[in-house]
Amino acid sequence: MILKYMLPKSMESQITLTGDERIYYSVPIDIDESGKWSDNSFLVVTTRKVYILRESDSKVYDIKDLQKAKAEPGVGGGLLTVKSQGVDRVLAHYSSKHLGRYAYVARGINILISGRYEEVESPEYEKICPICGRAIPGTKRCPKCSKEGGFLSVFLKMAKPYKKGFFGVFMLMVLVAITTLGNPEVQKHLINDVLKKNGGMKEALVYLALMFFLSVAIVIINILKSNASASLGSRIAADLREELFEKIQKLPLEFINDRRPGELLNRITQDTRFISDFMADIFCNLFAVFFIFIWDIIFMMILNIKLALLIFILVPIVTFFMLSLRKTISRIFHLQFKKNDDVASDLQDVVSGMRVVKSYGKEEDESKRFKIVSAEYADIQMRNERFWGLFDFVMSFLMGMGVVIVVYFGGRDVFLDRMSAGELYQFMSYTLLLFQYVGWLGRLPRELSRLTSCLERIYDVLAQEVPKELEEAHPIDIEGEVTFEHATFGYKSYQPVLEDINAVIKPGEMIGIVGASGTGKSTLINLLMGLYKVDDGRLLIDGTDLNEISRKSYHSQIGVVLQETFLFSGTILDNIKFSKPDASVEEIIKAAKLANAHDFICRLPDGYNTYVGEKGHTLSGGERQRIAIARAILPDPRILILDEATASLDTESEFMIQKALERLTSGKTTFAIAHRLSTLKNADRIMVIDGHSIAEIGTHQELLDRKGIYYNLFTAQLAKS
Amino acid sequence: MEDTINIYEKKAEEMTAIHIISKKDKFAETEGGFVSFDYDGVHYDRIKVVRLFPFSDADRFISIREYGNGDREIGIIEDLSDMTEETQKILRHQLDLCYFTPVIEKIYNIKDEYGYAYFHVLTDRGECKFTINMGSNAVSKLSDTRLIIMDVDENRFEIRDVEALSQKERRMLDMFL
Repeated sequence: MILKYMLPKSMESQITLTGDERIYYSVPIDIDESGKWSDNSFLVVTTRKVYILRESDSKVYDIKDLQKAKAEPGVGGGLLTVKSQGVDRVLAHYSSKHLGRYAYVARGINILISGRYEEVESPEYEKICPICGRAIPGTKRCPKCSKEGGFLSVFLKMAKPYKKGFFGVFMLMVLVAITTLGNPEVQKHLINDVLKKNGGMKEALVYLALMFFLSVAIVIINILKSNASASLGSRIAADLREELFEKIQKLPLEFINDRRPGELLNRITQDTRFISDFMADIFCNLFAVFFIFIWDIIFMMILNIKLALLIFILVPIVTFFMLSLRKTISRIFHLQFKKNDDVASDLQDVVSGMRVVKSYGKEEDESKRFKIVSAEYADIQMRNERFWGLFDFVMSFLMGMGVVIVVYFGGRDVFLDRMSAGELYQFMSYTLLLFQYVGWLGRLPRELSRLTSCLERIYDVLAQEVPKELEEAHPIDIEGEVTFEHATFGYKSYQPVLEDINAVIKPGEMIGIVGASGTGKSTLINLLMGLYKVDDGRLLIDGTDLNEISRKSYHSQIGVVLQETFLFSGTILDNIKFSKPDASVEEIIKAAKLANAHDFICRLPDGYNTYVGEKGHTLSGGERQRIAIARAILPDPRILILDEATASLDTESEFMIQKALERLTSGKTTFAIAHRLSTLKNADRIMVIDGHSIAEIGTHQELLDRKGIYYNLFTAQLAKS
Repeated sequence: MEDTINIYEKKAEEMTAIHIISKKDKFAETEGGFVSFDYDGVHYDRIKVVRLFPFSDADRFISIREYGNGDREIGIIEDLSDMTEETQKILRHQLDLCYFTPVIEKIYNIKDEYGYAYFHVLTDRGECKFTINMGSNAVSKLSDTRLIIMDVDENRFEIRDVEALSQKERRMLDMFL
């Protein structure tokens, strides 16, 4: 993301830099004071000052007079505010286009206020290419503008490892072109040499045999070619898919969270599928069609240049007609598709909400509504089919016209003896061939650009750098001391979730974490699990920065039970063993017993071999959670993280698991998030998260004496029960 | 224990109460461009304004909330036009700062290219260009004739009445309906 825009000359002249002062950030202010779009205002931050540059009425603030800058997101835009002399001030109003940018700028200003001189950089991508104004399909560079982009270079990049396969397909394509073009030539001889000159049966049979041989050859070569390119396509797609999957596993969660859910899934499944489809449908004909097309034109010109030119006048007309209709076609089918979607989602809504509909007695209303949507869909469908029928008719009419022209003018030439009958026949064959491929070639640019986008998106993921472990990263035996030092973190640049967290947790201590939802409890745990890195500050384990501990060693020593328990498709045994694949059966049973899961597993007909997951045996929420707990405790971790671990259990099993966990957590550093405070009664200390930071921390009694947030929560829950 | 239960009774009552703000309550513009408010003997340095029905009733039912402190609601303005001229001016300016949804008045051109559509329009906030992703649900219907269009940057544009557009503009828009 660009944080330093080029300033127009008139603006630049308003800035005077003194000494070692430098410009750090300059971003557009795209909404003016009366709330209208504006394109000539800028916010400029130098190492000493903040400038608001407008056509008139520019303002300057000294950074040393500012206390805190904040990018406050609103609806469809946001405000950059600063606190100076105790007063909140609006500095700039901007649309959503610059939401992310201003968050970085605000962070940058705050760093300058604190007396440091680091320059903030944004790893996020621009969504619109600043050069050509086109949307960038989720990649770093604009596929249109970047020098390395463009169809040919990405295509070559993809093709490189498969040189042999591509060469084979290419050769087959040349063969297809030769045989396709050769057939009319033989037909010409048949007419001219045999039919017109009263040639013998023997000659006729020779030509017929040749024609038969060519036709069979065309079919066989086509099949071979389609097979070869389809298998080449699926091989490429499969390899890319594997590569992508491996890469995405290694990438940090930030990369995945930056993208819409499903987008990465699409890259793995749809983008790669498009590549194999492209190879099978388009590429296999690509060169063959080009080859045929060019030779077709050359042959036509050789045969009869006048006639050829006449036909070529018709070609642009057909092309134009098809291109202009294609817009309409895609529009009406888009409409049909949308309506189809509406019908489907309406149906889905009503069927899945059947209980609600029935319990409010709204069946009839829903039927009426559905009838309307369904009728609209039928209307559009009918209209489209009618249009389609007409389109086909017009297309074949145009092609027919071409043939008529050829027959008329060509026929005259034949009578005048400027052309033989066989040549006329040959010419007609070439004309039909030409029309056949005009349509195909018209579709090509769109397909090529789709392929470019797909490949760009795939290579964008593959080109991501996997953050390497620091060189000094080393395995350690964890004692269990955890220290947060000014830890600050946010998933999105403009929304810090945790700010300036400071705490030291002793080995073996159990910390209960409470707070309203959305305050950052789970985020704190995500940091602890090493899923994200703190943006500012440090997180230390036994005095060592988490970044300096090798991931493998760290993750083998922590156990996690999350709010949403996720079980993989597989047996219960597989799921428990996931955390420690080499565990013995005794260990597994012991873990299951501790998690209070053993008994219910015994009741299942397939025992530990019961298949669970998406298509498997349905377990209740509590049962899944108990399996997750067994999985967490199996490796005997040094740090145990429980995020609402017992929330979906009934009171009795919760009590039993609590009992079991008590034994288990002794001597282990434990972090437990809970809404029900009774589950935290064994906690050594309670941490209350509120307003993005630790609001209170201390023992149960200390916090009650403080009469703060915890006291309120505790008494509220007591009052409830 | 009795006390604490009473505290919660009070809290629950406070939670469900609706405070209506009247003409008499004093809003003032602050030096920094925000709004301060005096209500029920309490002074608030800065308040937040929230539209309860931003689409169907933008000028009615505006929630006035504290800035910080869990954004607690201070009260609701039932109808902005019932307020004094001065208050209306201050609050409208503040609403403009928090809500930016340009209304499209004229469509100059829509060009679609490879899954994205490029709009060139005139809005009530001036002329502008924006881009939408045709694959996502960028256009949502508020009613049969009213649309909200979300561009790739998550800016929102409104079309108040599709039928008020010219035939030519409607045809360009057809693709997204």
